[in-house]
Amino acid sequence: MTRWTRNLILVASLTALPACASTPAQRGLMVFQQVCSACHGMEHVAYGDMSSLGLSPDEIRKWAADQQMPNGTDDNGDPKTRPATATDPILSPYPNEAMGRLANHGLLPPDLSRLALTLPGGAEEIRQILLSYAPTPAGMTLDEGRYYNTALKWKHIGMPPPLQDGMLTYPDGTPATSAQMANDVSAFLDWIAHPHQAERRRIGVYVVTYLALMAFLTFLLQRRIWRAHR
Amino acid sequence: MTSPLKTPDTDPPDWLERRLPVMSLLRRQYVAFPMPRNLNAFWSFGAFLIVTMAFMIASGLFLAINYTPDITQAFASVEAIDRQIPSGWFIRSLHMGGVTMLFACLYIHIGRSLWYGSYKAPRELLWLTGLGLMLMVMVTAFAGYVLPWGQMSYWGATVILNAVHAIPLIGQPLSELLLGGDTLGNVALHRLFVLHFTMAFAILGVIALHVAALHVVKSNNPSGIDPVSPSQTLPFHPYYTSRDGFALCLFLMVYAGLVFFLPDLLTLADNYVQANPLVTPRDIRPEWYFAPFYAILRAVPSRLGGLLLASGSLAVLFTLPWLDRSALRPATRRPMVRLSLPLAFAAFMVLGVAGMHAPTPAWLLASRVAIAWWFIHFLLVMPLASEREMSS
Amino acid sequence: MTQSETPPSSDGTRRRDLLATGTVVLGCAGACALAVPFVESLKNPVANPLSDRLLDVDLSSLTPGQDMSVRWRDWPVFIQRRTPQMLAALQAPDHLATLRDADSKVLQQPKDATNWHRSVRPEYGVLIGVCTHLGCVPSFEKPGSTPEAKGGYFCPCHGSHFDAAGRVARRAPAPCNLPVPPVTFLSDTKLRIGHSAGDPGFSMSDIQQI
Repeated sequence: MTRWTRNLILVASLTALPACASTPAQRGLMVFQQVCSACHGMEHVAYGDMSSLGLSPDEIRKWAADQQMPNGTDDNGDPKTRPATATDPILSPYPNEAMGRLANHGLLPPDLSRLALTLPGGAEEIRQILLSYAPTPAGMTLDEGRYYNTALKWKHIGMPPPLQDGMLTYPDGTPATSAQMANDVSAFLDWIAHPHQAERRRIGVYVVTYLALMAFLTFLLQRRIWRAHR
Repeated sequence: MTSPLKTPDTDPPDWLERRLPVMSLLRRQYVAFPMPRNLNAFWSFGAFLIVTMAFMIASGLFLAINYTPDITQAFASVEAIDRQIPSGWFIRSLHMGGVTMLFACLYIHIGRSLWYGSYKAPRELLWLTGLGLMLMVMVTAFAGYVLPWGQMSYWGATVILNAVHAIPLIGQPLSELLLGGDTLGNVALHRLFVLHFTMAFAILGVIALHVAALHVVKSNNPSGIDPVSPSQTLPFHPYYTSRDGFALCLFLMVYAGLVFFLPDLLTLADNYVQANPLVTPRDIRPEWYFAPFYAILRAVPSRLGGLLLASGSLAVLFTLPWLDRSALRPATRRPMVRLSLPLAFAAFMVLGVAGMHAPTPAWLLASRVAIAWWFIHFLLVMPLASEREMSS
Repeated sequence: MTQSETPPSSDGTRRRDLLATGTVVLGCAGACALAVPFVESLKNPVANPLSDRLLDVDLSSLTPGQDMSVRWRDWPVFIQRRTPQMLAALQAPDHLATLRDADSKVLQQPKDATNWHRSVRPEYGVLIGVCTHLGCVPSFEKPGSTPEAKGGYFCPCHGSHFDAAGRVARRAPAPCNLPVPPVTFLSDTKLRIGHSAGDPGFSMSDIQQI
């Protein structure tokens, strides 16, 4: 699917959502919560921002309360944490860069806030990467912490294969195959990298319609005013 | 609608008029103001510029309310504007799309003046204030682009400030004044924020001068012959207000298209990565409106030479009223200029496209030819053409 | 200066006036609509009910007659441990006569603090330290620090007096008693601010004045 059609489907599904079904981006949030967030954060996105994806305040509060936020230091000077709230950012699970690198063979899992915008190829590239893991071919040796992946130029990546068929259960009954999850999570990351996109287009239609009407009226007006001099 | 023809003298003097004659001033300058009858669509771009500038100031003020000029928080504060501040995404897109609209209109506005000879006597000051406005807009745009503190902000600013540094004599003290330190950091970001904010209002002031000068010398027109009798003019209102209004609606449709449907079309995605002083992005390039000058810097195999040619390409415009002394204004009536000027326009566009591509030998060659033609046109063709026209 | 212009024909004038008025009105409406997102952006994005936070406070170090301040939802919260003398002073009839709202009739506290000591337990007072007059932070007058000090609060800005239960004196400009936050005692020395077990439906947005 091209980026364009996927965006269209996303917009359509966000504007007219049947109560029982869920959108790819909503399912993708589930994949983020249960899989990606083990290593990645979205530090510019707040838990509360998910309300425009259709999450209820209670769902957001519950999700946030399960996450810990740094909260100064205690009386001994040791770092303290507190449960996150809706206005808190979705931080990386690693408290700092050094810990993130230590846990990942020296590589830092990137922040996902804008990844679908800044990664060349965008969300489609993310989907391809997630689908292109394969066993390392015979005769090829990879460094420790590298995984064979045909979507990349050098055929390896630092991220271990994250998705397995059936590793989670979608509440809407969609079978959670790797392909389905890759699809959903890339739709979610596309949504998160283009904040307010559906609203932007919806309002844009009204604005352009209004301006077209104004253009028509001012055209009639100026033609009438100028007619005497033509 | 039927009153524009009334002169202020026939109106009964009212309370306000006796104390502050703004109403009669407005009527003289914006209602009954005599305009040539034959202006074409290119004369609407000044109105577009005023409106875009108003959008920039309004959106800029509201962005400044939510922006934090601190290198640890600037990027996050811009992200928060895009994501969490109510309608913040709209205001920011208005500002980002506005830069494109502003420069596009500015270049067309200047191109129109070049084509129809609007820079010639008695409009030299109008031309010079206009070019001054262009330089001020460029400085403001540069300072503003640093503020989100993304990768392009950081590296663009680094390159430009080093270029300033390379200017002989004044370069070093000037770049030190801007940086306030050894490298681009917190102090520089705060200074650029204040510079950006202040320049916006300085621009408003110079726009007032530009418009005041216009109202003294009146508009040029496509024929290049100033109207001499009232029968050759039309009052600004309702004739040009209605026409500019229509043109403005079309203009705003393009602007709205950019804001609502293609917000990422003209921005570089790398600027959504926070500035990292340890890594320069692989395909670093300027925004489209600076691309022609960037192409000149790259095409000249000497740092000082590139800087001189890039600034010289603008400096020649300032001397144009004196390089071109012919009384003939529109290029349509000047055979040599009619051939040479479109090539100069094309050269500018070639440089713009070259500036957005990797510097392959083909693009470097094209850039060099374009630079050469730009200077040939202004320094050779224009004086020669005016020489011939004056002698004939 | 353009007197030679012929006015538009009479049949055109009416339609143009309607057209012109309509265009101008619609244009102004568009400009007003444009102002909406700008005003909208000034609204506080954090002000949503999801941001209510709970704060647990350890009271074991608080001795009778002492007070402490903690920050909850960006408000200073005063916690005082009352001595028997302070509690007696709160009930003195001549003192009650000087108060504007001695019986806490105005909704400035959860139901479980609508009593003579304006707190869940008489020996602990918990108040939001924001003067109901114009928002300054009153200072605690430690009992015994001066002859008149009985453990009340004094606002330095415009001289409002509050007693130890946060009840405002009649001669003060402040209109209401100091607000009481919703609190729950988790144990004898552990206090949770942000939720009231005795009045679970209470929300800070319900109170009269803060």
